[in-house]
Amino acid sequence: MAVTSTAAPRRARAARGGPLERQASRLFWPFVGPALAFYALLFLAPIAYAAWTSLYKWDGMGAMQWRGLGNYQTLLDDQAFHYAVTNTVKILVVGGVATFAISFLLTLALREMAGKMFARSVLFFPCLVNALVFGIAAGFLFGPTGPVNKMLNLLGIDAVPKWLSIDNLPAMIIATIVWTATGYYTTIIMAAVDQIPTYLYEAAELEGANAWQRFRHVTLPLSWEVVSVCAVLWTVSSVKVFEIVLLFGGGATVSSAPIQTWTTAMYVYYSAFPGSSVPKLGLAAAAAVVSLIMVGVFVLILRRMMRRERVSL
Amino acid sequence: MRRIGHTIVWLLVVADLALLAWIFVTSLRDTQSIFNEPFGLPVPPQGGNWAKAWADGGFSGAAINSVGVAAVSSLVAVALAAPAAYALARRRTRTSNALTMTFALGLGVPGQVLLVPLFVGLAAVELTDSFIGLTVVYIGLAMPFTVYLLTGFFAGIPVVLEEAAAIDGASGLRAFVKVVLPVARGGLITAFLLQFIGAWNETLFAIALMTSDDKITLPVALVNFVGLQQYAGRDWGTMFAGICIILAPMVALFSWLGTRIIQGMTVGIGK
Repeated sequence: MAVTSTAAPRRARAARGGPLERQASRLFWPFVGPALAFYALLFLAPIAYAAWTSLYKWDGMGAMQWRGLGNYQTLLDDQAFHYAVTNTVKILVVGGVATFAISFLLTLALREMAGKMFARSVLFFPCLVNALVFGIAAGFLFGPTGPVNKMLNLLGIDAVPKWLSIDNLPAMIIATIVWTATGYYTTIIMAAVDQIPTYLYEAAELEGANAWQRFRHVTLPLSWEVVSVCAVLWTVSSVKVFEIVLLFGGGATVSSAPIQTWTTAMYVYYSAFPGSSVPKLGLAAAAAVVSLIMVGVFVLILRRMMRRERVSL
Repeated sequence: MRRIGHTIVWLLVVADLALLAWIFVTSLRDTQSIFNEPFGLPVPPQGGNWAKAWADGGFSGAAINSVGVAAVSSLVAVALAAPAAYALARRRTRTSNALTMTFALGLGVPGQVLLVPLFVGLAAVELTDSFIGLTVVYIGLAMPFTVYLLTGFFAGIPVVLEEAAAIDGASGLRAFVKVVLPVARGGLITAFLLQFIGAWNETLFAIALMTSDDKITLPVALVNFVGLQQYAGRDWGTMFAGICIILAPMVALFSWLGTRIIQGMTVGIGK
């Protein structure tokens, strides 16, 4: 009986057109329609509109002037955009490598640790906090007379680095992002690693594999798929970075956050809402399109780099 | 080796907790003493910062706005996404698969791509600086993730349930409302929670769209407050109280429903 056996292939059932299938097909559009309408109106159409706007010069009030690829040319020549792209790529690559390395180390350390769930929860929590908070907190902790420097002084280190100087800010921002993101990725990787049966480790140990070899030949291949999904998540989230830069080190407005720290999201926001000067919506849209292309390119590169034979248990 | 690992993990845990505790303690101290001694204890504790943040700092109105926008947008987002996700999970045709894919692609779109178009679009219908406008934007932004999350969730519910309902003569809609939704309650709550957290912390669109002081949400209030200090002189005590107001619901939700939140944000990624 096809009706009661869930093992029957769905396709076959659809072909046979049982009453349940007919019902499902009648309800399909009424069910999907509303969500799809919102999605199309607020997501798909805006992407197309951004691409179109990026070809014009527009202040949002007057008439739009055709510029062709002129806005993209302006971006190429704009120092602020260079900083924005460089910082975004640094967050993506340097921050990404650091985050995943630390996440794996934490995962290994957390295995068989007493209080593992509690520790994991605490490390996870920062990803629920608005990054504005970390920007402000970092400004305090690392300020010239802040607690970090005072502690270093107490330890007898007088030559404290200028943490919040413009040259150091991008690195500080990346470090803070890594700090706040590792808990999240540790949790995901931990869930994958927990699925690996212990007998594989025991077998590897019997064969004389050391800790690194066990990691390299058991843990890594068996969690590879999850890691590659995480890498895609990381790519998207690092191109979005905005809040943490906005107030990092005590800046207060977008214009007062030094351009050396900008990310592509900051550049888009500042071009569209510059406060006192004329909005450049076309330029903002062009920068936005570039950031979307960045996501696409990086995801393609990652997928290619991380493609492996699927290892299944 | 193992002991070193455990020590490092606990150090990180303590550092995270200490940061939270420090933010809270500092919110109870007056600005001058924070300036002199950033790590001091509040002697005596100053409730005044909180009162000031709540009354003069504009955080009370912003908190109410944040709760309203986050709650309404999450509720509507789940109400829209649930039937769609259910239909996509149950019907495996070419159209359905293509639509599932289209929704999932939205996960890869950074918010700034939508900033200019949504601003222009909302301005055209006079919904900038409006709660409706911001709520609608959050509903739209929520679609990819909520549909993705719930599709996975509905796919895990056995079809036998609807088959039994159909045998009992229930229509498809009735089976969905009376049989499937109650079973899916856990997934719906998770989707609501995650969307609520997302909307609570959202800054880019809130700061771009909301300009009137009485309509801003908490992240915007914090940014404005920090900006104001540049002219009005520093008032760190009040600022930390404001930060606590943003943090408090997240701490509360996480202590109460932490497992659910963690699962929602991480399970399904491995699949």
